[in-house]
Amino acid sequence: MQRRYRTIPDLKTNESARTISITDATLACKLTAMGVLPGTRIEMVRTSPFGKAYYIKVDGIRIALREEEAASILLEV
Amino acid sequence: MMWKEEDRLPKVGMVGNPNAGKSTVFNLLTGLRQHTGNFPGVTVEIKTGRMRFPSGSEATLIDFPGTYSLYPTSSDEKLVAAVMTNPADTFFPDALIYIADVTHLERHLLLLTQLLDLNLPVILALNMSDTASEMGIKVNAAKLSDQLGLPVISISGRKEDNIQRLLSELEKMLKAPEKASEYKPFYKLTDQEKQITDAIRHNLSIENPYRALLILHHHQWLPFLKKQQKEVLDAIAITKDFQSLRTQVDETLDRYDKFMPIVRESIHQPPAFPSTTTDKLDAVLTHRIGGPVIFIAVMLLIFQAIFDWSGYPMDAIENGFGLLSEWVASALGEGWFTELLTDGILAGMSGILVFVPQIALLFLLISILEEVGYMARVVFMFDKTMRRFGMNGRSVISLISGSACAVPAIMSSRTIGNWQERLITIMVTPFVSCSARIPVYLVLIGLAVPAVKVGGIFNAQSLVFGSMYALGVLTAFLAGWAMKKWLRTREPSFLAIELPEYRMPHWKNVWLSVWEKVVAFVAGAGKIILVVSIVLWAMSRFGPGNAISDATLTAHQEAREMRLDSTQTEDFVQQRRLEASFAGQMGKSFEPLIRPLGYDWKIGIALLTSFAAREVFTGTLAVLYNMGSEEGDINDRTENAAKATLRSKMKVETFSDTGQPVYTLATALSLLVFYALAMQCFSTLAVVRRETGSWKWAAMQFVAMSLLAYFGAWAVYRIFS
Ligand SMILES: Nc1nc2c(ncn2[C@@H]2O[C@H](COP(=O)(O)OP(=O)(O)OP(=O)(O)O)[C@@H](O)[C@H]2O)c(=O)[nH]1
Repeated sequence: MQRRYRTIPDLKTNESARTISITDATLACKLTAMGVLPGTRIEMVRTSPFGKAYYIKVDGIRIALREEEAASILLEV
Repeated sequence: MMWKEEDRLPKVGMVGNPNAGKSTVFNLLTGLRQHTGNFPGVTVEIKTGRMRFPSGSEATLIDFPGTYSLYPTSSDEKLVAAVMTNPADTFFPDALIYIADVTHLERHLLLLTQLLDLNLPVILALNMSDTASEMGIKVNAAKLSDQLGLPVISISGRKEDNIQRLLSELEKMLKAPEKASEYKPFYKLTDQEKQITDAIRHNLSIENPYRALLILHHHQWLPFLKKQQKEVLDAIAITKDFQSLRTQVDETLDRYDKFMPIVRESIHQPPAFPSTTTDKLDAVLTHRIGGPVIFIAVMLLIFQAIFDWSGYPMDAIENGFGLLSEWVASALGEGWFTELLTDGILAGMSGILVFVPQIALLFLLISILEEVGYMARVVFMFDKTMRRFGMNGRSVISLISGSACAVPAIMSSRTIGNWQERLITIMVTPFVSCSARIPVYLVLIGLAVPAVKVGGIFNAQSLVFGSMYALGVLTAFLAGWAMKKWLRTREPSFLAIELPEYRMPHWKNVWLSVWEKVVAFVAGAGKIILVVSIVLWAMSRFGPGNAISDATLTAHQEAREMRLDSTQTEDFVQQRRLEASFAGQMGKSFEPLIRPLGYDWKIGIALLTSFAAREVFTGTLAVLYNMGSEEGDINDRTENAAKATLRSKMKVETFSDTGQPVYTLATALSLLVFYALAMQCFSTLAVVRRETGSWKWAAMQFVAMSLLAYFGAWAVYRIFS
């Protein structure tokens, strides 16, 4: 079966997608306060030098996320 | 007490999201009249300052940590929630200035609406209006003010625009607090939340419903709740089936739904964000390969700064104090009071001030990196690396600041949300060689390592100096790794950090930050150094009973028998007097413990005294070796500060029983390792206690670091001797 969502690690550099929801409750709390809301467009800018952290852009602000954090944001296909 | 008066002044809080420009406005309003506040009975430090209104009346301004909402994830964010929900708190404000970045207003209003629901009098200051007008953003402040029901003023902290209006509006608000009577909550509680807040009002008589709700959300950690109150709240949460996290998210989204339209109506924004300088810079500065390379280059630059550039002002300060104490000595003539002044007080002051250039330079560089927005990128790049060692990307900032001074470095760990990661950061930061270790390193390296070139380019002395830093950093990481294995708690940990726009540094912020840190050092560590230096002088000047005068007599006799000339006699007598003094006795009894490391009793005294603050080490040795030899060679003095003299005196030192030289390469290296690893700073221990909430961790840190230093030094001595 085809997945009905993607996450940030699925995005290519400079690709963007709309958010659906955030699976981790604590993180959801933190990210919504920072302005990552359901339906906003997230752009993947780059990954970090060591291991996987993600540099993303949301409505003109830039946020760094860990791999687990990035993976808990569900995006539209 | 000065604080009594301060307490009576109205309190104004500054709140806002991170990077909204709070500190800039705070600095603008208070200037140099700020202090990191020791309100009586308060365990956490908060920055406060005195501000003055155009009318001449004054207020205390409190700079709260930046936070996105009253649902905190780190301890400095928790602080904001704890104060705002507790009207009895010393920091509870009479009015608030809410600083919002007007170029991102739609994400800066969440916290504001929460504060409004707490019924706190707030003024909304739309900051960065200079950037906004450059970007073509137009704000209808009157409309915004109307919709939100509070005064709104466009300001620029950087350009100092409209600050007078902000002040007069604020003063009006402080004078007329009756407005608070008509309470219109921004967020409409759900039915469940209403039942809950009713229950809380009933049981704990908390009138404001949103305050009641917040208290229930946070009741597990809020410090002002009593145990019995917590039990009541627990019971309410269970019977009402209260899902804290879910409710928080729902509430947050509901607030966004309400204020987004307001923002859209009152702000005219150009359609899209163009690709900016920040994006271009980040393409290089956070590049997969380029990023870390540039970071290392920046660190080397900082290293160069402390090793090279600060040498000149340091020498100047030492020479200056040398001249001053000579002048004092010749002006006052001989006597114990003169000695107290020159060998105790002046030596101590010189020992403090000599660090100022280094600390200032380091914090200058660090605060520039922070001001321009680079530090957040470092956090992003090294988060994964730091996590391997039990820390958080944010720990990098603490470790870098630790190269100047561990005290502010440990305080900067408050932004780390996860307790274990924060604790590990606090515990390992003192391993990073702070500027207080530098003079010790310089003396010891100068003594034992020849100034030869290695491999044609590197100076052997610089190499050893560099290795001391590497040793500190390496040990910090290893200790972090070990603690991670040992602690193993499962508590959520976050990176989720905003990467701010790059900006030219605002120099006023930079200077104030450097000034603040230097003052904190001189007042904090400085006091200890001065006291130790006076106590030390007294201990080496006086002895039990007639010990000193007896020793003087026999020494003179022996000197005559040995046919020493007058300078030699003088030195010999001083030696004997020192051995007979309290300090000498103590050092001697201490010698067996440190002999395995290759140290004699003089080093023992220096070690003992430097347990209060390691910078005392060189001072102590200078006192111990220099006493009475002030009339030494003129050339000696003019050529360089005490250091060179100290080195030459230390070189000829021998063990009194075996006659072997004390300062061999092995001893010097062993001492170097000892100083790199040992915890020798009361100020650091005090700040660890405060930040961790108990002496337990401070004690553990002290014991672990001391043992590590002892065995490390022992191993090095065995290898090289
Ligand atoms: N252009 C412009 N820049 C500003 C203004 N006010 C502050 N800044 C800059 O914005 C950045 C963040 O300012 P800070 O004062 O450190 O922000 P803060 O809110 O205290 O941030 P935290 O300490 O993280 O809570 C700095 O680089 C400031 O120089 C302003 O009015 N205009």
